[in-house]
Amino acid sequence: MSRDRILSAIRQGKPDLQPLPDVIGFPSHIADTDLADSFLTMVRTNGGLGVRANSLDEVRAQIASEYDLTLPTLSHVDGLDLNNFTPTENLRLLDDLNLVVLEGSVAVAENAAIWFDETALGIRALPFITLNVVAIVSTRNLVGTMHEVYKRVDLNTSFGTFIAGPSKTADIEQSLVIGAHGSKTMTVFLLP
Amino acid sequence: METPVRTTHHAEAAAAFLRDEENVDWHNETLWFVRSKRDKAAAALPEWEDLREQASRIKNHTLSRLDEYLLDLEKNAQQNGITVHWAADADEHNRIILDIMRQHNATQVVKSKSMLTEECHLNPYLIKHGIDVVDTDLGERIVQLRNEPPSHIVLPAIHLKKQHIGDLFHQHLGTDAGATDPQYLTEAARLHLRQKFLLADVAITGVNFAVAETGGFVVCTNEGNADLGAHLAKVHIACMGIEKVIPKGEHLGVFLRLLARSATGQATTTYSSHFRRPAPGQTMHLVLVDNGRTRQLASPDFRNSLKCIRCGACMNTCPVYRRSGGHSYHTAIAGPIGSILAPNIDMKQYADLPFASTLCGSCTNVCPVKIDIHQQLYKWRQVLGEAGAVEPAKKVGMTGMDFLFSRPGLYRFAGRAGRQLMKFFPALANNGSLNPWAIHRDMPKPPAQSFRDWYAEQEKK
Repeated sequence: MSRDRILSAIRQGKPDLQPLPDVIGFPSHIADTDLADSFLTMVRTNGGLGVRANSLDEVRAQIASEYDLTLPTLSHVDGLDLNNFTPTENLRLLDDLNLVVLEGSVAVAENAAIWFDETALGIRALPFITLNVVAIVSTRNLVGTMHEVYKRVDLNTSFGTFIAGPSKTADIEQSLVIGAHGSKTMTVFLLP
Repeated sequence: METPVRTTHHAEAAAAFLRDEENVDWHNETLWFVRSKRDKAAAALPEWEDLREQASRIKNHTLSRLDEYLLDLEKNAQQNGITVHWAADADEHNRIILDIMRQHNATQVVKSKSMLTEECHLNPYLIKHGIDVVDTDLGERIVQLRNEPPSHIVLPAIHLKKQHIGDLFHQHLGTDAGATDPQYLTEAARLHLRQKFLLADVAITGVNFAVAETGGFVVCTNEGNADLGAHLAKVHIACMGIEKVIPKGEHLGVFLRLLARSATGQATTTYSSHFRRPAPGQTMHLVLVDNGRTRQLASPDFRNSLKCIRCGACMNTCPVYRRSGGHSYHTAIAGPIGSILAPNIDMKQYADLPFASTLCGSCTNVCPVKIDIHQQLYKWRQVLGEAGAVEPAKKVGMTGMDFLFSRPGLYRFAGRAGRQLMKFFPALANNGSLNPWAIHRDMPKPPAQSFRDWYAEQEKK
């Protein structure tokens, strides 16, 4: 059986035990007071739009002025009920979605990656299939680096993803194009 | 898709690539630009060198306990409802995938980037068996429509100009004739591939990292194609080389900080997705592939190459790659790292590749997991020489030099004779058919005296 052959070949060929480093990761160079600024700068670098907001009401008003809410919209954020779309078992129908609004449980200042787990997403395909994504993040949930964020996220979730901006490609002559297969825009509202 | 015609010698294929001088200059400068972005990203992290060291040590440790971590991965993945398969070689890998397709009566597959499936030539195999395989990464779709393999592991269509792609899309996707705007062409590909995503029965993805302690795996893209495919299809098959496992979740922090910065200079890929359990109603498979990796592991000289995280930094920096193009390497993974990996798969077929290098060491300096790439290229040359796999012309030259360098008197005479020859008959030394070194190069003017003569003169003064 291939499994046993591969394992026995590894046992015969592997080197003597090499120790793991005692400490994994490095301290963040971003001061706590700079987390929000660094994060918003990276949102822009990633091709997204970063906006500070004081309350969900403010977020709701901005969404209403920026997006056509008569188009299929789905929000998974408590207190931000914008739903006019009911997903069915047929995931292909999600292709009609214009806007998906999600809350990130933790986000990273060094690269603006925002973590969404199965609970935040509900349906895994949502942030990838929709035309536009709005993400809500609280400043209290910002960390400096990827080392810190892995201390906060629960990798026992069935599925979780870091999203850092709208989808993009540079496969044609290295010209950056925003909007490859995933969402074409991503707006991040940073709450206190 | 037909199996692409492959040129079998790097130098000849590179010569063909070099004929289009304008394109070569563009290729060279564009990849150097990507390398510069990598430098900027690396310089922004004061701990960059220590981060590389940590990544290297995590990988070294993993390789020293690879069997145990693979067993942990298997056990935990199975507990989470993922079916785990083991494939000894490319054929078995391909058969496993076809079997899964047949169990589900599937005919439509969308595939995101996986260098492993390129290595195993999965696409031609599935197509031969009546499966419609669509590559969904934009660059990979472009080369698939051209019946070509990718020329770079991160930038699959970097050898093409937008005019080529405009013509190709006009022919296959019905875009306007002569249209070359990247935004317009990308939008056309988005619409075309969106239909493929919606209709696919099965999604195949690669694996960037698999985590032994959770039984999950991570897939990174900028385009979102891996996620769209995997979440919409009823069946998700993820394929990985056995060296892709890492021990713990916290190690992902180290590797994800290095991967995109090394590849394109981005602080992170747009999407880094962590799959651990199939979605309700979905089936998930994980295929673990050896295909020569255990042989590489057993070799102290070459096992280091198994640490590779496929970022492509060694290609972007390589003076030979930048001026010869990925296809000249006639293997799935081009460039410096590919030139170490390929001879392990077939020593004869890829004997030319370890010589496609200046041994300048730039690849080693940028490698995020500290693989001693140029030293391994050098070691492969010794191995190939001993195995008699080196081409005769090179061997004659080497044997001649060996003879000359071990006889000081003869060496001094030959030096004098050579200087005289180049002085009085420079055309002879610059004739490419007599001296291959002079193709694309002018030989330098011969010095008036040798260092040895000069030194002797100084002693007398």
